[in-house]
Amino acid sequence: MIETWTVDALAGKVQRGELRAVEVAEATIRRIDARDPELHAFLARSNEGLMEQARAVDDKRAKGVTLGPLAGVPIALKDALCTRGMRTTCSSRILENYVPPYDATVVERLRFADALLPGKTNMDEFAMGSSTEHSAFGPTRNPHDVTRSPGGSSGGSAVAVAGGMTPAALGSDTGGSIRQPAALTGVVGFKPTYGRVSRFGLIAFASSLDQIGPFATDVRGAARVLGAIAGRDPRDATSLGEPVSDYNAACGESVRGLVLGVPEEYFGDGLDPEVEASIRSAIRGLERDGCSVKKVRLPHTGYAVATYYVVATAEASSNLARFDGVRFGLRVQAPSLREMYGRTRDAGFGMEVKRRILLGTFVLSAGYYDAYYLKAQKVRTLIRRDFEAAFKEVDAIVSPTSPTPAFRLGEKTADPLAMYLNDIYTLPASLAGLPSLSVPVAPTKSGLPIGLQITTPLLREDLALRIGAAVEASHAGVNEP
Amino acid sequence: MAPTQKIDRDAVLHVAKLSCLSLGEAEADAMARELSRIAEYVEKLGELDLANIPPTLGLSEGTELRPDHVTPGLSHEEALAAAPEATAGAFAVPLFLEIGR
Repeated sequence: MIETWTVDALAGKVQRGELRAVEVAEATIRRIDARDPELHAFLARSNEGLMEQARAVDDKRAKGVTLGPLAGVPIALKDALCTRGMRTTCSSRILENYVPPYDATVVERLRFADALLPGKTNMDEFAMGSSTEHSAFGPTRNPHDVTRSPGGSSGGSAVAVAGGMTPAALGSDTGGSIRQPAALTGVVGFKPTYGRVSRFGLIAFASSLDQIGPFATDVRGAARVLGAIAGRDPRDATSLGEPVSDYNAACGESVRGLVLGVPEEYFGDGLDPEVEASIRSAIRGLERDGCSVKKVRLPHTGYAVATYYVVATAEASSNLARFDGVRFGLRVQAPSLREMYGRTRDAGFGMEVKRRILLGTFVLSAGYYDAYYLKAQKVRTLIRRDFEAAFKEVDAIVSPTSPTPAFRLGEKTADPLAMYLNDIYTLPASLAGLPSLSVPVAPTKSGLPIGLQITTPLLREDLALRIGAAVEASHAGVNEP
Repeated sequence: MAPTQKIDRDAVLHVAKLSCLSLGEAEADAMARELSRIAEYVEKLGELDLANIPPTLGLSEGTELRPDHVTPGLSHEEALAAAPEATAGAFAVPLFLEIGR
């Protein structure tokens, strides 16, 4: 029986030889077998591969080789991340049988850190959605209430952690796809600065926004995983060369003297009263820890959803042009090339993906470019300036991650706009490229998790983790599913 | 080209053609309704005075390119392995040129 299912505890025990990686792998298989038939976090698993990786870690230790920082830690991977020799579908029919010939850089780095990789997790198709219901392979369920969505798009990765199957997972966040499911399932989720983590091998959705980040049972776990995957990669020209700070050390530092900004715009219409009460109580907790709190204004927040759904769909319409039935993925045969493209894409893409490709193509098309796309890019500048101005007065901005707790499966699928509006609090930091962390705070009376979002200036992941660890310390054990 | 123009079925079919999606008529009607609603919502961007505001084209300023050296990549076989159809060491596609005309 493994007592503490956290990244730090497992890595420490495996490194010290108190626990064999093989035992962790066996426990992982048992945990997934027990929980996943109901939750459906995983799309694909490789028990053989997992055991092989575990034996390799144990062999290394037996030979006296120093183990990596994630020694024997099972980490689930969102199915948007390419894994060599293992099916990678992005939850889409168009990639249903795709087996990549290479690993994403983050996957390589996890292997190098001696992590164990038990499988690939469910998501909204091509990461387009906020509920994991737009998966071509069926939804994932929230372990806190299986009639509810875990959020999305990285819902499978969130539930792998929230359901106790792996202590950490990787997701990708374009407009909130790590933070929102983390909040709705009661785990930690972290979107780093745009460019902090290489995206080589991440199937692209919106290239000016996409960023890979960790989920974990605790803030220290997220810090350790981020430390292993962050840093410059020559294969991703947008990856940043700045040195990676010591994220684990940051988790232990005092928050005394920090100034926290509370944006009025995040506490208006549409915010669930129970969410508001929990967030305000968590902020008072930080005040007791020695932070001071100041009201700030982010006046263009109300334009973020409109801006995002123009910019992201425009980029998606271009990125998804590569799925044409020629080099990989599905092909539906047809007598002409043009018809082959059309039938392949028609059969391979789900409705939400088609909707976004059409919207993106529309906003880029002749006569509409200036009215939609260029305008949205200008508003994006205003949203960035809002944050720049706020960070002259405060060290970090704290807010709810999501306006409501987990919603019911099927509740929002009929109305695409209602689903989009759910992302209102996560989109601004994405548009500005800022690091943004979601940590669990006190749940609703009925036990649904709530997340506090901590957004910091560019490349100040350390500061977000430091505040997150303080929040966590005063909310120990609030979200046991 | 006012942005207030509703997206009708013809506009959807035009955009579908540009994006190589073959939509049925019923699907096109549903998309026209949904996209119009989203486009209407997006029009709130028009409330802002955007004169003299530069667009954010991307967030990676000073993108650092790697040195232009040949490094090991995928083998020919690996690159073709996932192709739905490959012939003579190349990706195969349906005929798109009529020979002899």
